[in-house]
Amino acid sequence: MNVIPAEYGLILASVLFTLGLVSLLIRRNIIFMLISVEIMLNAAGIAFIVAGSKWAQPDGQVMFIFILTMAAAEVSVGLALILQMYHQLKTLDSDAANKMKG
Amino acid sequence: MLFLSERKEVVMSREDLLNIVPLFILTSAAILILFSIAIKRNHKVIYVITALSLLADFIFLVTVDTPAKGIIEPLFIFDGFGKFNFGLILITALALTMLSYAYFEQREERKEEYYILLILATLGACTLVISKHFVSLFLGLEILSVSLYSMIAYLRKRKRSDEAGIKYLIMAAFSSAFMLFGMALIYYTTGSMEFGAIASYLAPFSKLPLLMIAGLGFLLIGIGFKLGVVPFHMWIADVYEGAPLPVTSFIATVSKGGIVILLVRFFLQINGHQYTSLVVIFSVVAIASMFIGNLLALQQQNIKRILAYSSISHMGYILVAFLAGGSLGIEAVAFYLVAYFITTVGAFGILTTLSDSQRDAELFDDVRGLFWRRPWTAAIFSAMLLSLAGVPLTAGFVGEFYIVAAGVQGNMWLLVIILVINSAIGLFYYIRIISIMSEKQEAIDRPEVTLKPSVYFISGITIAALVIALFWVGIFPDRLMTLIRFLIFS
Repeated sequence: MNVIPAEYGLILASVLFTLGLVSLLIRRNIIFMLISVEIMLNAAGIAFIVAGSKWAQPDGQVMFIFILTMAAAEVSVGLALILQMYHQLKTLDSDAANKMKG
Repeated sequence: MLFLSERKEVVMSREDLLNIVPLFILTSAAILILFSIAIKRNHKVIYVITALSLLADFIFLVTVDTPAKGIIEPLFIFDGFGKFNFGLILITALALTMLSYAYFEQREERKEEYYILLILATLGACTLVISKHFVSLFLGLEILSVSLYSMIAYLRKRKRSDEAGIKYLIMAAFSSAFMLFGMALIYYTTGSMEFGAIASYLAPFSKLPLLMIAGLGFLLIGIGFKLGVVPFHMWIADVYEGAPLPVTSFIATVSKGGIVILLVRFFLQINGHQYTSLVVIFSVVAIASMFIGNLLALQQQNIKRILAYSSISHMGYILVAFLAGGSLGIEAVAFYLVAYFITTVGAFGILTTLSDSQRDAELFDDVRGLFWRRPWTAAIFSAMLLSLAGVPLTAGFVGEFYIVAAGVQGNMWLLVIILVINSAIGLFYYIRIISIMSEKQEAIDRPEVTLKPSVYFISGITIAALVIALFWVGIFPDRLMTLIRFLIFS
């Protein structure tokens, strides 16, 4: 059985990260912006797992668990804030929420 | 934890345990407050618990005798530098707690949870300053940021708080993703997430490997966002404006300070000064931050936003000291942080006492004619602003002088000259606020404060202590310098 080279995993992670970044920059719906950030975080997680398996260490997977935990915490706070915003503005458009200028 | 340690046997001694007790105290304080809220909501009790636990933590850190350098493999390092900043963060959090009481006492919302978040955010920042491993770095940073999301949006009836909270959330998560990807690339290259092991991997290379450059780049983008240096500064002003005043000063001091310390530790460990590309990047960032921060501050009509943009340029000043490197550079960073913390907490503290239950005192109209209404407040606010501008006899001046000295010693003439030019530009908008305060005012249309004066007594004492510290550090800086030197090089 052939082993998949570690670079392939890294390339996958980079592609995912770029996708997340691009969609964060072009999306205007806040829920989608949150999802894009999640994609970026998970791309970083994949990169950690790839690196961990390259060095045959469990550290990469440990880090991935931490990333999952943190992403869950972040999303829960984020959704609470988005609910608040929806109550006040009746929209999820991030441009509508952009009131402060200076 | 065992398998994170590069196959080393992990034995925790009594000294190690004593070293991490300050972290335990903060954690248990948060849990204690949680239980206390479950039993009965009482703002005063919660406030006293918070203040006492921060104070106890600080006293423990200062008095309990621990070895000068304790390392808990692989996550934490307790050297003098870390302990000094740990203490600094605790004291700052204590001062902010003191100032928060009067501020939150007059609000309608539930106030108690704020203190849990404050303690947790402090815990995160404290973890940052003693971490020497990507895992502890990441955990500390996320404890800090996730607490800050909710702290920023805490006053949920206010219009701009959600906007500020969501902006900070997206920006912080975005920068965390960058940092994590950078860490993953560094781990992929070096096979370790511990600063020391990364350094020893890099030591034989005179030029950085390509993946390592990419990794460091991503990591620095993440750190740049958290510090709010140009070109990652766009969130700063909005978040400062939308957040409640005590939270704004928390972001400006504790959160940024923790990350600066982390950056210094990481950069020193991997010996970043030998790589020209890194030094050039940091110099460009420092120069851009100083100029853009100051020039944008000149155009603002809102005091919070002025302080936000001025904080960008102050981060630029700190980067100069950081780039100068050497022992003098580290001393300058530590000293400048002390001066900057005192001044920023003081300036925001004055605005906190001026705020009413509806909104924060942040417009020029709120301070117009303050010298005629409340001369003492106005005088103290002026002193704080002058310290931010770096006028002699104040802590800010000594801090800036220290940075210039470090820069001259490191032969960074361009950066030093730009710093001096910028502190001249900065003087202009600080003086503008002072001149607005001294204008004659026609009519008072703001409602008078209705709170009991005893509530303001605590804020008053805190601000008095900050003023004393400001001038003490400004006039007799040698004591603080000796302390920093002793702690860093012990």
